[in-house]
Amino acid sequence: MVNAYRTELDTRPPTAPREHLTSPVTRAVLRIQNGILRATRDFFAARDFVELLPPIIGPVTDPGTRGSKQVDVDFYGNRYKLMTSAILYKQASLLAFDRIFHVAPNVRLEPLETASTSRHLAEFHQIDVEIAGASAQDVQDVLAGLIRHVVGHVVAEQSTELELLGRDTAALTGFVDRPFGRMSHTNAVAALRKLGHAQDPHAEIDWAAEQVLSHEAGAPFFIVDYPKGSRGFYDRESRREPGVLRNFDLIAPEGYGELCSGSEREFEYSRIVSRMRETGENPAKYGWYLRMVREGIPASAGFGLGLERFTRYVAGLPAVWQASAYPKLPGVVSP
Amino acid sequence: MSAASGLRARHFPEAAVRARARTGCAAVFPPDDGYGNTVFGAATAAGADLIDSARLVPPVFTPRRLERLVDLAREPTHHDVVLDTVLGGFSSPLPVYLSAFGSTRVATGDLGLAASRQAGRLGIPMCVGENIVPVNGYRAAAVPSMSLLGRIQAYAAEVGDGGGVVVQQSTEDADAEVWNLVYSDPGARSLLDSGRLAFELKVGQGAKPGLGGMTVLDRAAAARVADQYTVDPLFGADGPRVLRCGSPGTFTAEILRHQVRLMRNNFPRARRWVKLPPARDVRQACAVAWEAGADAVTVDGAEAGTGWAPTGFLDHVGLPLAECLSRIGRQPSCLLASGRMWEGTRVAKCLALGATGVGLGRAALLAVDEDGDDGLVRLVDCLALELRMIISALGKYTVDALDAEDVWFPGA
Repeated sequence: MVNAYRTELDTRPPTAPREHLTSPVTRAVLRIQNGILRATRDFFAARDFVELLPPIIGPVTDPGTRGSKQVDVDFYGNRYKLMTSAILYKQASLLAFDRIFHVAPNVRLEPLETASTSRHLAEFHQIDVEIAGASAQDVQDVLAGLIRHVVGHVVAEQSTELELLGRDTAALTGFVDRPFGRMSHTNAVAALRKLGHAQDPHAEIDWAAEQVLSHEAGAPFFIVDYPKGSRGFYDRESRREPGVLRNFDLIAPEGYGELCSGSEREFEYSRIVSRMRETGENPAKYGWYLRMVREGIPASAGFGLGLERFTRYVAGLPAVWQASAYPKLPGVVSP
Repeated sequence: MSAASGLRARHFPEAAVRARARTGCAAVFPPDDGYGNTVFGAATAAGADLIDSARLVPPVFTPRRLERLVDLAREPTHHDVVLDTVLGGFSSPLPVYLSAFGSTRVATGDLGLAASRQAGRLGIPMCVGENIVPVNGYRAAAVPSMSLLGRIQAYAAEVGDGGGVVVQQSTEDADAEVWNLVYSDPGARSLLDSGRLAFELKVGQGAKPGLGGMTVLDRAAAARVADQYTVDPLFGADGPRVLRCGSPGTFTAEILRHQVRLMRNNFPRARRWVKLPPARDVRQACAVAWEAGADAVTVDGAEAGTGWAPTGFLDHVGLPLAECLSRIGRQPSCLLASGRMWEGTRVAKCLALGATGVGLGRAALLAVDEDGDDGLVRLVDCLALELRMIISALGKYTVDALDAEDVWFPGA
């Protein structure tokens, strides 16, 4: 049965699951997402990664999420959190295996104004990767390889769905053979200021700015070396350039914006405690994590690639909620 | 109190020594049965407060009165003084804001709500204190009016176009993610959308610089927060009350700088305030906070504070407000001061010494206790009238025109 009023790419969020799930558009998008996951697992299997099932709850979760609220769970009288990201567990996982990935569900109650950015969901998934002993450059290379592999797979295998969605595949295949560009945070701030955007040099590249840079780009590119004070305590601070983090975002072209954040990680106990204070955290809250770190964890680097955002980019969708079977927009009460 | 032997020590604090010998560590603090109906803060002997002992001194020659005369085409009076001020990014009809009361039981319930409503009606900015969320709850408290959101909504229901709400967070509050709760709450959205929400990083406080928050809790309330705070059975192992201690939090210049930057990063639509204790390096701490992007820095003099503190701290620890202001000096950024504020002359002296505005703490609580509907409004009306008369007497007509030349210290 063809859904009469969901045959076009529509930015109105669905009001009922039937309307959304019976739409040919949704079905095509979810098939592409399925292809992305299949290709992702193939990619990592060929490189000796172990897929771990991600944690859903824990005594603490990732605090390094811009302005979003965590969800409390009453765990037998103890306050637990739904995962905003599994970063702390990814570092722990390296005690078992050197190369791991999750396909992890995350819940972040983002500020209300993000409901209209086309790129925020309160519930979403990440392809979460962590590699022991890796540098920021190493994981950027893995990420670029993953993007190329997945995009190549979808373009080759899912032309029917891409055609139904009207996706211009030339925009996807044009960059496949070229290295991804890199721009430092400092240069990104300068470029934005040149374009008349008042970007704070000490802060995260804001959403509007990211979109500006994304529109200017013809291929995915990295923004690297964010300033301390813009990210969580676990992004490693450069020893040669104090105040600069050894981290990166991957920005999609065509205005789709950020797909992924990654970094080398802090792994030394005293550094982590100091960084926790700099990010306003109370170390007492992170008891299990700090005990583990004190006993020693591997140096590592990793990233979290937003699955719905990646799907949106590959499928060429106006809004990220279209890449979820059960979309939850910030502040919008929905199934 | 006599001892078995009848020993006396006439020129020695005999009673205090005997109290400690009798009751142990409880005697380091004010009596715990006064908790809940008494506001604390330092007692100042007459003449000992530098700001109180200073005098405001009008000049004969008043070039700014001439400017105002030209503007008005008539002789100006104190009615022509403009008190409107911007405090930490918020407009206020006078250089006054409502200080945070913390989680002290005095300020919860009806008094806190009455103060919020009247501050809203006045259109002055309101700070809401630390520990309220961990101790009383955010949305649902045992008494609904005690919650943080209850106070914000009471203020928002009364306020017109000006003012703003400042939500404090201390090191322990970070566990409760107070700022995250407020930033995404539909109940605070109108304030956020109109640019009238700020977050205040609490680095310390006046009454007990170097210590964290301290409140006396009954045992049931203490059990609820035992995993977040140190709970001390100071008033007897079986007594009905215990002392809850927060940590002061660890700060270095780097930690403070990055905490302020992170506020800017994570909550870009909220203003940023920083509250400092009367510490010896208060000038450097102000500079770090402003440089990192604080819209206002609040300095609590050692004579400030509504909450519980060891008596030794009340009398002997921390810089008096006058010395804090002197060390900081006049700066281009917004500096807010608090400590024993209640009437116009002390406020005018602080403004002349470099403050942009002052906070009302104990005075506001007493005023709403006197009259829950209009007490604070009347107190602030008195203060505004006095300020107008003082500023006019000094030959000036705006708040920011006050300067060190207007104040004389005995012996200067």
